[in-house]
Parts: sequence; C-alpha cells; structure tokens
Amino acid sequence: MSAIPIHGRSRRWASATMIYGLAAVVALWLVGPFVWLFITSISEQRDLLMRPMPLVPPHPSLDNYAKILGLVDFHARHQTAQILPSMANSIIVSVVVTAINVVVGSAAGYAYARFRHRLMSATLYAILFTRMLPVVVLMPALFLIMRQMGFQNTLSGLILAYCSFTFPFTIWIMKSYFETLPRELEESGMIDGCTRFQVFYRIILPISGPGLVAAGAFTFVLCWNEFLVAQVLNSKQGTGTLPVTIAGMVGQANIDYSVIAASGFLSAIPAVLLALVFQRYMVQGLTAGSVKG
Amino acid sequence: MWRKAGPRSGPAVSDRGGGARGSVSPGRSLARSEAWFAAWMVAPSLLLIALIVFLPLAYSVWLSFAEVDLLSQSGPVLDIFGMRIPFFRFVGLDNYARVMSDPEYWRALGRTVYFVALFVIEATVLGLAMALVLDANFRGRGVMRAMLLIPWSLSRIAVGILWLGMLDADFGAINGVLYRLGAIDSYIAFFSDGFTALNVLIVVYVWNQAPFAAILFLAGLQSISPDLHAAAAVDGAGYWRRLWHVTLPSLRPMMFLVLVLATVNGFLMLDLIYVMTSGGPGNDTTTVTWLGYRTAFSFFRFGPGTAILFTLTLICVVLTVVYHRFVLAKFRAE
Repeated sequence: MSAIPIHGRSRRWASATMIYGLAAVVALWLVGPFVWLFITSISEQRDLLMRPMPLVPPHPSLDNYAKILGLVDFHARHQTAQILPSMANSIIVSVVVTAINVVVGSAAGYAYARFRHRLMSATLYAILFTRMLPVVVLMPALFLIMRQMGFQNTLSGLILAYCSFTFPFTIWIMKSYFETLPRELEESGMIDGCTRFQVFYRIILPISGPGLVAAGAFTFVLCWNEFLVAQVLNSKQGTGTLPVTIAGMVGQANIDYSVIAASGFLSAIPAVLLALVFQRYMVQGLTAGSVKG
Repeated sequence: MWRKAGPRSGPAVSDRGGGARGSVSPGRSLARSEAWFAAWMVAPSLLLIALIVFLPLAYSVWLSFAEVDLLSQSGPVLDIFGMRIPFFRFVGLDNYARVMSDPEYWRALGRTVYFVALFVIEATVLGLAMALVLDANFRGRGVMRAMLLIPWSLSRIAVGILWLGMLDADFGAINGVLYRLGAIDSYIAFFSDGFTALNVLIVVYVWNQAPFAAILFLAGLQSISPDLHAAAAVDGAGYWRRLWHVTLPSLRPMMFLVLVLATVNGFLMLDLIYVMTSGGPGNDTTTVTWLGYRTAFSFFRFGPGTAILFTLTLICVVLTVVYHRFVLAKFRAE
C-alpha cells in the first residue's frame, strides 16, 4: 500500500465509486426481476396495463394471494384450487426424498471416502456417470415402468424417480465432506472398542452437520423445483407438484398474470429462504457437487 | 472443495490389511470385515441407482430400437415381480433413420448449437464478471454473495413466469421502463419473432445459470494466494494485467469445469421452453431436447422420441468423459 502515489486518495475514491457502482448493477440484475415478480403479485392486473406503467403499485393488496389460497371466490377458482393440494404433494415428496438421501446417501458417501478397492472405484465411476446423464432420456422408460407397476400418478413413484437424480449428488457431496475429516477420529474410536458402524454412527455423523445440511438443503431445493419428471409421471389432476400446477396456469386466457405471479412467488419462497438461510452450506455443496441443472 | 480442508492423513484404513493380500497376516480378517462393512454401506445406494437409473436407461435404449405402440403392447413381454414389461416390436435402426431424415431434426439441432454456443459464452463471461466484482473488497459483499443464490434457487417455472412478466408485450416491466424513459413509442413484442424469442430464452437462462458459474469462479478466486497479486502489484502490474497474467491462469481448471457444465446444461434446457414459448412461434425455439420431449410425450411416439433424446445423450456422454479425464484428474493432482 506504500506504493500509492500522491494523488492516491482521489484515485482510491474513484475506484471505490466504481466498485459500488458495479455492485449496484449486479445487485439490480440478480434481485430486480425477483422483486418485480413480488410487485406484480400485489398489483391489480389493470394497473399493470396502465401507460405509463406505475413502478409502485397504486392499489397494493394481497388479493391475488387470497385468490390462489382459496380464501376468496373468483372466476378461475377451479383452476387455482389445485395449488394447495399440489403444494402438499411437493412438501411430502421433497421431505421424503431428502430424508432417504441423507440416510442412505451419507452411508455410501462415507464408504467411498474411506475405503479403496477396485469395486469401489468402479461403482463410484458409475455413480459419476449417472450424475451427467440427462434425466429426460430416462423418462420414456420410467413412464412405461411406472405405468406397469401402477406407480404412475402416485407420490411413491415420484419419490423413487427423484432419487435417481439426487442420489449421485448426495453421495458426492457427503464423500467430499467426509474426506475433510481427520482419520485419527476413527482410529481412536476403534481403539476404544467401537465397531466400524458405531464409529460412523456415534463419532462421525454427530460432527457431520455441515455436510448433512448441505446435502439435505441441496436435495430439497432440487426436488422442490423439479418440473419435468413430475409433469410426465404425475399428469393426473391432484397428483402433480407445485411447478406442474403453476405451469398449467400459464397461458390460460382467463387467469390474470398477477395471479400467476402470486403463485410463482409463493412457490419460490421455500427454496429461496432455504438457500439464503443455509447460504454457506449451499455454496459449499454447490462447489463440491458441481451440478448440472 | 470444502473450504474446511482438514489433513488428508494416511492411506485408506483398508489398504493396510488389504495390501497384504495372499500373505497370511493378522490384519487380514480385519480387512475382510472392513470390506463387508463398506459393502453394506454402499449396497442400498447402488441397488437403488441400478433400479432407477441403469434399468430404465437400458430399457430406454431398447425403446429407441423398437416400434412402441402404447395401446396394443405387441411383441414379447417380460414378466417380472408380477409386472409385465412390454418389449414391443424390434425395428433396428428405423427410428434413428427416420429422425435423421427429418429436416426438422436438423433445423432443431442448428438452433440448439446456436443456443448452446451463445449460452455458454454469456454465462461464462457474465459469471466471471460477477465473481470479479464480488471478489473485490467492499461493504455489503456478504449480502451480495447471498443474492447470487436467488436466481439459482428459483424453479425454472418461476423463472419463466417472472421473465414473462418482465417481457410481456402488454404489461412487461422492461417495456414499461423503456416507455417511461421515452426510448420506445410502442411496446415491443419480444416473443412474436422467432429469432428474438430464441435469444430472449438464452438471456433468461443465463440469468438463471450465470450465478452458479459465479459461485464456482468465486471459489476459484478465493484459492488464489494474495501473495501472487501483491508480487505482481509490486512489479507495477495494473488491474487488467494482473487479471490476465495472474487471475485467469489460476482459474483455468475452474473455467474448464464451468464450460463443460454450462454446455451440458445448455443442451438439456427444457422447462423454460415449456413455460415461455412451447417451442414457438412456429418451431423457431424448438431445440433437440424439446423436439424429443414433444415427440415422446405430446405425440406419444416413444421410439423416435427416445432416439432423438439419445442423440443428445451421446453428446453429453462424450462431454462427461472429457470432464472426467481432464477436470477431475487435474483436481486430484492439485
């Protein structure tokens, strides 16, 4: 810092202004559209159509939310009536898939982090392969198999299908987390007479919070946002998830955009909150998982 | 890539016993019990993945060589666990031949290549730019980094809805702002022209995905030793020279990762098309993924649909191999 010339103060001021200016542009780009989604969701459609368009809604209200939650009656009531049931479906599927992932996937991740063997490397490679496999190419086959098994339009079928693209990530994220734990922990546990499983269960898991949170939050967000698989497998009304129901409302002539915006914003809240609350873990999971999608 | 990198101590526990294979050693029974433990730990995952990924994958491959008639379910049937898996009629490469001779497939492929190329470039450049801004030292940096997660954590359906609201020809915010500023006299219809619509899709997908690239780049930037920059600064290198000679070379492995992931993601994009354009106007935003999806699930022609999707999978598999060969090998070497 000693190398700053005499006019360094004004230069530093200029560069600080530039950084804050750039940061403001980035912030507007990242958050502006999302904020606008909220603004339209509390606006009335006719205000949005006014020219010049008001940037602050003149009649802000939560009417659109009341409509989609079924609290007030309106003409497209039967179309928005699916929102609450499909939200329940989304919650059930996401929670169950996350639970399965955390339990089953972390066990596998641990084994892959600690044991070297030809079979282990081969199967790990197979898991890595599935990570890059497009889910859409499995869909015709999954559709027929689920139909034959009677799992079409059921939540169980969807839960099974969701494990196909979440498992590889969970295993990978947990594996990279366990690899950061020192081996001495296990060795001392073994000396104390713990079995291999007890070491994992009593010593390793209790200190694996960050990894488990990253994998769990990550899986939940992936499932909560998933659209394609649910659209194909659970197309029957009442069995779909929230994205499927909302996508079905887009382009319907009798539903105002402001109502759709409200459903969109409502559906985004859980994932956005989860991402912000567990920000640090999400970022670590993202970098460790290096995801597609 | 966990920041909290602990000591990577010693070889795997099982190596110590397992290395002495064949020779009689006291570690041998221990090694065997360790192996059983590992097997039990991975068995549920592997069983599930075999059942819900590899089995459907194999069946999908078969479907792409078959004439699938969903109503008659002709041909041989596999009876397994009380369910009947139909195999339909084997037609060899007919589906692929039909797809390849369809000019619409080649047009869609052209659009896909355009989409992917532009998407990859924009997402990488914008992701890197955002990462560089967020790597600078300023107040509120933490909040800004949290903001990166917002576009990424929205479902693509929400992203599509949001941008429909931004770009609509009657109530779009961008039209509203431009009109207020006096830049336009009448609202622009972004989706009536096919080529414009395709470019709009690219920008929207970039909005959704560039933050992910930025997160990866930020992780890369933070692993660059500040000493390098300090040394370059002492040598009189300005910001741009340091960026070119110090920052970018250190980011090379991360850059490669971002490029490969963005390419695969670009090829697979589907849900945005579903909610924003449905492949229209005409077929002007129909990419290969969308064509395959529509063929299979709108027209229920599973054979050709699966064949279309497999041409895409081939590209992804090639990229995956590249990805593993170069990227993962490099990360391990570090």
